[in-house]
Amino acid sequence: MAKNAEQWSAKPKFPATHYVDARIYSDAQIFEEEKEKLLKPSWIIACHESEIPAAYDYRLFSHPAGVPLIVVRGDDQKVRAFYNICPHRGNTLLYDPAGNAKRVTCIFHQWSFDTRGSCIDISRAEQGYQDRYCKQDASLREVKCELAYGGFVWVNLTDECMPLSEFMGGAMGILEPFMQEPLEVFHFHKAHVRTNFKLWHDTNSEFYHDFLHYFNRITGMMQPGYFDRKYTGFPNGHATVGSMQIQYDKYEGSKERAVGWPGLARGGWYMVDVFPGMTYNLRTSVLRMDTAIPLGPNEVLIEFRGLGLKRDTAEERAERIFDHNMIWGPFGRNLHEDLLGVHGQGRALRPGSDARWIIQGREENSTIHDEIGMRHYYAEWSRRMGRPAYDPYRAGKPEPVRAAA
Amino acid sequence: MTTPEQRQAVEDLIYRSCLALDQRDWKGFLELCDDEFRYTITAYSPEIRKDMVWLDHDKKGIDTLLTNLPRHNSDHSPITRHATVYTVDLDAANGRAAAVSALQVFRTQLDGGASELFAVGRFHDTVKLAGSRPKLAKRVVKLDTRLLGYGYHIPF
Repeated sequence: MAKNAEQWSAKPKFPATHYVDARIYSDAQIFEEEKEKLLKPSWIIACHESEIPAAYDYRLFSHPAGVPLIVVRGDDQKVRAFYNICPHRGNTLLYDPAGNAKRVTCIFHQWSFDTRGSCIDISRAEQGYQDRYCKQDASLREVKCELAYGGFVWVNLTDECMPLSEFMGGAMGILEPFMQEPLEVFHFHKAHVRTNFKLWHDTNSEFYHDFLHYFNRITGMMQPGYFDRKYTGFPNGHATVGSMQIQYDKYEGSKERAVGWPGLARGGWYMVDVFPGMTYNLRTSVLRMDTAIPLGPNEVLIEFRGLGLKRDTAEERAERIFDHNMIWGPFGRNLHEDLLGVHGQGRALRPGSDARWIIQGREENSTIHDEIGMRHYYAEWSRRMGRPAYDPYRAGKPEPVRAAA
Repeated sequence: MTTPEQRQAVEDLIYRSCLALDQRDWKGFLELCDDEFRYTITAYSPEIRKDMVWLDHDKKGIDTLLTNLPRHNSDHSPITRHATVYTVDLDAANGRAAAVSALQVFRTQLDGGASELFAVGRFHDTVKLAGSRPKLAKRVVKLDTRLLGYGYHIPF
């Protein structure tokens, strides 16, 4: 029997940790708070070291909190990150998404900066500023930057942030054995979806949506052991999923996996979901990295990278690209389905739609159709936001949220 | 130098390939392709400063892909391919022609019927002229558009 309005709005018959209020996916005020409390203090992947291999190579990154950044390899080979904002009149310093710039010169008034963030030239400085302002006053704003966990460039906008290793809380341990040699990005594309960024991370945090994918229905889900893989939660909202071996030959059009990945069993698969919106996905011969960059409460740009080994031969690289494209490419079998799924959520959860609850109630001993991955995420979300995700509009001081079961 | 008849035949083949794909007439499309047919989608990424391959299949592979399409969940909005054949260059010694066409792809929403530009790029086709009708031996779709949104994975 269908529900009336009262029944529709009634809280789900689960513990409060097992559902969230749907409005956290569309509320503009909550989104502004998320930028301050989740996105600015978190370590975020800006790019991969292979995208800036040479001195003076740079890469632009639009930080999820809204800050435009330049990631640049200096003359000393150190990778640093700066605001892509001229300290003079607030203009954009670099426009192209990537390039090589020995000096960074603002087109507006020709102020120049080196790759260590120092101002090296102010046009007609003495005539205009006399001794009141000089190059030493005009440095770029540098942000925290570290290379780690597979050669990715991590940035943090908060000067007083915890170290990256502490932020990760051991979550990368499951993948580190497979990232012992240099990697290289061979694929990059973005998807723009009118949906909340957390919904993309939710999709990466539960495998129950396997039912969305024809590919999964006829490969992994048919195999013994598929449902035995476990989610493991780590401090600061991260989670991992253990490996299995996928029988790809069940999908016509796939071919025998030959190139593999060092140390990874054929058909193996590991995932690490990094709070608040990144996912490592190592499958068979390819590492995929997702970075969700929210553009608003109901709008997200997702960056997708595919990586192989830097030492790949042309033949090995071609095989990795084939493996990547089969499932995860823009014309692949699964990615568009995942994007369609979160697009549909964006439609249904838009402001005023009267969507009320998102249920995360599946309990299957923490295995992959258990929704513990999402519960773990929203326990951290609630802690950081100071609002319980199941009741984000509670008046007064929010109560502490107990850890997810 | 191509004769007007040869050029006409190549143009006709390319336009028919668009019509067949627009109509999701996969069998009809494959009948326009030679047994040696290879289909590739490429794009250049200014972000990572690399040429990328996004799809690469022989005829059997593209047949499998097209056969599997209805088994996947997809956005059902139809897309329309508009090709304009720019150049047709004859390789008489090998009985082939190389054609370069501008490609524009539009998507029309099912609800309300709004059309939007979905992708732009070029077809780089190799056409086999031997036999009674020219056939596609190779198609490389070089995409300029790299932001393809959600829910669509049908080759152009």
